[in-house]
This record gives sequence, C-alpha cells and structure tokens, in this order.
Amino acid sequence: MVRLDSVGLRYGDGPEILKDVSFHLKPGSFCFLTGPSGAGKTSLLRLLFLALQPTRGLISIFDRDVTQVSRRELPLLRRRIGVVFQEFRLLDHLSTFDNVALPLRVLGRREEGYRADVMDLLSWVGLADQAHAFPPVLSGGEKQRAAIARAVISKPELLLADEPTGNVDPVLAKRLLHLFMELNRLGTTVFLATHDLKLVSQGKASVFHLEKGILKAA
Amino acid sequence: MTNSHSEFRQGHIIPPEAAPLKALTVTMTVMCYLACLAIGALILINRAVDSWTSGLSREITVQVRLLQDSDIDKELANAKALLQTTRGILDVEVLDRSAGAKLLEPWLGPNNLDDLPIPRLIRVTIDEKAPPDFVALEKDLKKSVKGSSLDTHRRWEAELTRMAGALSTLSYAILVLICISTIAMVIFATRTVLDANRHVVDVLHLVGAKDGYIARQIDSRFLKTGLMAGLFGAVLGILTFFLLGLTGTAGGGGFADASRGLLFAPPAIAAWSYGALLSVPLIATLICLITSRVALIRMLGNVL
Repeated sequence: MVRLDSVGLRYGDGPEILKDVSFHLKPGSFCFLTGPSGAGKTSLLRLLFLALQPTRGLISIFDRDVTQVSRRELPLLRRRIGVVFQEFRLLDHLSTFDNVALPLRVLGRREEGYRADVMDLLSWVGLADQAHAFPPVLSGGEKQRAAIARAVISKPELLLADEPTGNVDPVLAKRLLHLFMELNRLGTTVFLATHDLKLVSQGKASVFHLEKGILKAA
Repeated sequence: MTNSHSEFRQGHIIPPEAAPLKALTVTMTVMCYLACLAIGALILINRAVDSWTSGLSREITVQVRLLQDSDIDKELANAKALLQTTRGILDVEVLDRSAGAKLLEPWLGPNNLDDLPIPRLIRVTIDEKAPPDFVALEKDLKKSVKGSSLDTHRRWEAELTRMAGALSTLSYAILVLICISTIAMVIFATRTVLDANRHVVDVLHLVGAKDGYIARQIDSRFLKTGLMAGLFGAVLGILTFFLLGLTGTAGGGGFADASRGLLFAPPAIAAWSYGALLSVPLIATLICLITSRVALIRMLGNVL
C-alpha cells in the first residue's frame, strides 16, 4: 500500500526535516505515528498525501513511485486517500454539509445521490444539527469532526490523519478512534499522527515514533 | 429534520465575493467600447473609399487651356467630337466657365476672375468594364485640341486608396492592441482570483479535484464578465454613433453624416454595421473564456 525507502526531505536549503525514513504500510493495517512537535510528523503526512516530493529516497503509494506520477494522474491517486488536517482546512463559505460532501461533489456525484450518506455520517460524528452551519460558527471540536467526516465520506483506501483528536474531549476522542477502527475493519489502511499516547494505547495498532526527523518502530 | 431540496442548496465552491471581477468588467467594457469605435471607423473608411474610388474610376476629366492664338470654343467642340467618337466613352459634358472658376475660388477669391484665362473642363464618363485606351486618347487629344490635357484621376485614386489603407491598418492595429490588452487583463484577473482562493484550490486538489474541474468553477465567472462587458461596450458604441448622428445637419459631412451612414443606411448595409458592432460581445466573451481557461490550467499545473 505505502512504502518509504530512505526518504529524506528538506525545505529549500534548510536542514533535513526527515532523515532516511523507511517503513511499509500493508493494506488494511492501522498505524500510529507519534513524536514531539517539530519532529516532522506533518511533513511526513504531506509526503504521503502527495503534497510534497521527497528530496531523496523512494515513496511508493498504491504500488506507484510518486516521482513517476504525472500531474494528470495525481487527482486519481488522491481520491483514494482521505486526509484529516491538523488545521482542519474546512472552507468557511460552505456549510458543514457541503464541506463534508466536497469529495463526492468533486467526483461528479449528484447531491440527491449522496445526501443520505452525508447526513448519516454527520449524525455519526454528532454534527447532524450543524449540517447547515458554517465553519466560522463551529467549535474547534466540531470543526475537527467535520474534517474527519470529509476525509472518510468517500471511503478511501488510505486514511491519513494529523492529530485527529487534538481538539475533542476524551469521550469523543475514543468515539472517533472507534470510527477509524471501524473504517480499518472495512479495509481502509489508517495512519494516524498524534501526541495522544492514551489514544495510542487504546488503538492496539503498530506505532512508529518520529524524533528529529528519524523514524523508529516503537 | 427535513431533507427538503431547498435546505440543501449547494454553495458555490469558489465564492463569488472573493476577488470580484468588477474592475475587469469596467476595463473590459472600456476596451469593448473602443473596439466598437475602431470597427465603426473601419467600416466608414472602407465604405468611403469604395464610394470615392468608384466615382473617380467612372470619370475622367479633359482640361483645355486658353492659348493666345486659339479659339477656346472651337477647341472644346473638337475635343467633344473626338471624345464622343472614342470607344469606351459613354458620356461627354462640357462644363461651363463657372465650374473652372469655382475650382479656383479657394485660392483667388470670388472676384476678379473674369479677366483670367480660366481653363475649361470636360467631364467624361467612361465604361468601367471596357475603358478607353488612355495613352492613345491623350495622344489624339494633344494632336487635335490645342492646350488640352487628360486627367484620369489615377493619381488621386492611388493616393486616396493609400491613405485609406493606412487608416484601415491603423484601425486593425488598434483592434489587435485592444485584444492583447484584454488578454493581459484577463490573465491578471485570473491570477488575482486564483490567489484570493488559494486555500480553496489547495483543498480541492487534496480531495482529488482535477484542474479542469477547478477551472470550471472559476471560468463561468469570466464567461459572464466577458459577455456583460461586451454588451455594455457595444451598446455604448452604438449609442455614441447614434448621438453623433443626431448632431449636425444632413449632408453636412463630418462625423454626423458618417455616423448616420453607419446606423441608418439601407437595411442590407446597416445590418452589416450592426453585425460587426454586435460581434464585439461575442469576441469579448470568447477572449475572456479561452484566456481564463488556458491561464487557469497553466497556473493550476504549477501547484502540486
């Protein structure tokens, strides 16, 4: 599913953010990525959702070398990946419903066809009442749940999440973890970057630890 | 909760209020207005040249100067007889003395022309399809008519055509410059819209939107802008010619007559004028749409 071999990343002429990172995510696996702030977790996730190219090394996603993926093929690969951003990246001018439905809209699906699915998912993450609300009026936790719902609505093969429970209370965090585990049970490969060691201990999944750009299996 | 359709009206993926295209609409309207003026000028120049050259090429003039030992009336009669028997000439009209005097009036004034040996003119209408041999005619006139000379108007015609050609080229150059400026403005506006919506574009890319999909969300606004600006510009242009046509008197020449000729000509000719002026909105829309689409695809292609 995902393979990294001796991957290095630096921004411009700056220091290397990731150093010789190598790991393999098998299809259907569930992994946590832990590490202190500034360790390079977000940069690693950006490499995995094809927003960055590695400075060196090899990244293969869905058995494709990312350096060989053409601009035209990029959207097709990204449609197979769901991403939860640390800063949510919801579109303020769209309602919660429209934000969550965005990946389906981009696929060209008609609203009548996905309305029930989106509403079900919003209910599941506890946002059914906020379907028509706009992100500026949502709390941090609500935004986070909307971002998660958007990432999983198209049932991606690979889910990448950057601190997906950073803004929610422990009860909701556990519930969201169960959502990720349920998705994983249905076949989605899940890769979660988090500080929350309590969440990691509940997950019963393999754990990678990233520190100063060096990745180690915990 | 009700799931009525009205409750789920989809929002615009690219918000129209971010980087509105009002400035582009205004500048494009001005460009379309200028394009209409240039097109109007082009039509008028071409029409005037057609009318002048057809008038000039239908006629030639024979001038008979008064020489000391000649009888002018006899020479005129000789010239008329010669011209009437020449093949390719349809009509011969000897103009009276006042016609020649009138031509000199701007230089010499209306008085004191009686004592001057004013040349006499003969207007000759020729068959345009089978004109006479001008070289042979000139030779015959020199031989049989004292003080005669032949003016075929070719020099005037060539100069008028050259001047009209220069004005036409200038109008075309103005139209090309207007198109280039419009393209540059649309590219600039496209970049502004893209920059103002960079976060939206990033999210769309990350959820797997293709560049064409993103471009479609934006270029409909450029379609509307091009069409609106083109229509405003064309209406203003037509209104300008209409108002110019209302000023001045009929037959008084100048802009007023030219504008009337543009808009109030016989239907077949006027339709051509209106068609050319109303092509401006169509061309503006196409320029706006194609330029923004190409610019968007190129700009989006530079974003990973």
